[in-house]
Amino acid sequence: MLPRPFDFVRAGSAGEASAILAESDGAKVIAGGQSLVPMMSLGLVTPTCLVDITGLELDGVEVLGGLVRIGALTRHRELERSAELRSVLPLAAEAAAVIGNPRVRNRGTFGGSLSHADPTAELCAVALAHGGRVSLEGPEGERSVEIEDFLIGYFETAARQGELLTGAELALPSPGSGTAFVEIAERDGDFATAGAAVILTLDEGRERCAAARVVVIGIDGLPVRLAEVEELCVGEAVTDSLLDAAAAIVERVAMAEDDAFVSARHRVRCARACTGRALRIAFERARGERQ
Amino acid sequence: MNISLKVNGVAAEVDVPPHWTLLRMLRDMLLHHEVKHGCGEGVCGACTVLLDGVAVNGCLVLAVQADGADVRTVASLAEGDALHPLQRELVERGAVQCGFCTAGVVLGALEATTIGAAGSREEIRRSLAGNLCRCTGYATIVDAVEAYQLTR
Repeated sequence: MLPRPFDFVRAGSAGEASAILAESDGAKVIAGGQSLVPMMSLGLVTPTCLVDITGLELDGVEVLGGLVRIGALTRHRELERSAELRSVLPLAAEAAAVIGNPRVRNRGTFGGSLSHADPTAELCAVALAHGGRVSLEGPEGERSVEIEDFLIGYFETAARQGELLTGAELALPSPGSGTAFVEIAERDGDFATAGAAVILTLDEGRERCAAARVVVIGIDGLPVRLAEVEELCVGEAVTDSLLDAAAAIVERVAMAEDDAFVSARHRVRCARACTGRALRIAFERARGERQ
Repeated sequence: MNISLKVNGVAAEVDVPPHWTLLRMLRDMLLHHEVKHGCGEGVCGACTVLLDGVAVNGCLVLAVQADGADVRTVASLAEGDALHPLQRELVERGAVQCGFCTAGVVLGALEATTIGAAGSREEIRRSLAGNLCRCTGYATIVDAVEAYQLTR
């Protein structure tokens, strides 16, 4: 129950971290360590070198017009508890509040969640629902990648060897949009069985949706954006019949597999339920009928 | 790797291997056996300590990442024989049975009451998610934290 030995380097800059990561196959970044340390303790990963980036100035959240820039070292607890961040990113706040437990949220970081790319990671779903770009610092300088192109598979991202995720710029929905994050876990604080992140923007009459972003976790090895459900919402109010149609789409596109804990069938049922609840809640919030 | 930190107000210089967790260093090098080693994977909360005032699982933090930090364990709370008021509430309400989870519960609850995350029984329960207790069924723990919160 202890990690295997490794070298440890405190990076003085993103460039230095990137240079070390580029040099060695076995090097990994550590920030909050809330996924990496238990995975090392369980022997699931055995890095030869850890590059600690917690000394870098990569925290903080900044609104830039229709975008919000979130530093990689922003902790889940800040997203959850900062009143200022809650008003800018209510979807991230709602999602962060159900990550692990308070001790985990005190340490875990936004950049860590995106880089780890756990298939049911709450903040990966939130980032995909907002849309935007992640910034990567590599040996050849900085580049940015669309979030849809960054999350490419089961614990897999488009970051190349030597690249460090320094932050993300997420698109902010227009004012008056409603958001909701809903998940089902077998135990409080456990990994989600399934979940859904929804952003709905109403048209001028405020009776129907003008735009929708719908992301589901638990039905595949990565968060899935449901373009079909989004199209379904445009021009419509969220009604029982719309929710039935959305559930049928979730059922049809689901690629869930049985695992040691839950069956694929159960995951899909949870995903359907979460999608429906999140759509309904986001719609009610957009209309001002619910907090 | 050489690090310096404070534990319960006492400065310490430690030469610790990078792969050691804060939990292991506190118990095996600095002999703070009040910090309990439960699951070792961040689920049970028995190893909760305050790192610069923030509750963390000692098993999920590398010791070298605590360089320069102010670490507080449950042993820093009592003044001589006088328990901290939260500890007294836990004792008086039967919220301490085998006691293995108690150190973690105390520090988790203390943080929650300090940052305003213990305003209702529901909030107290959510704040103590990740502090597993196999004896009490939690009701008396929530009672004690609620009672302490009302006295603050």
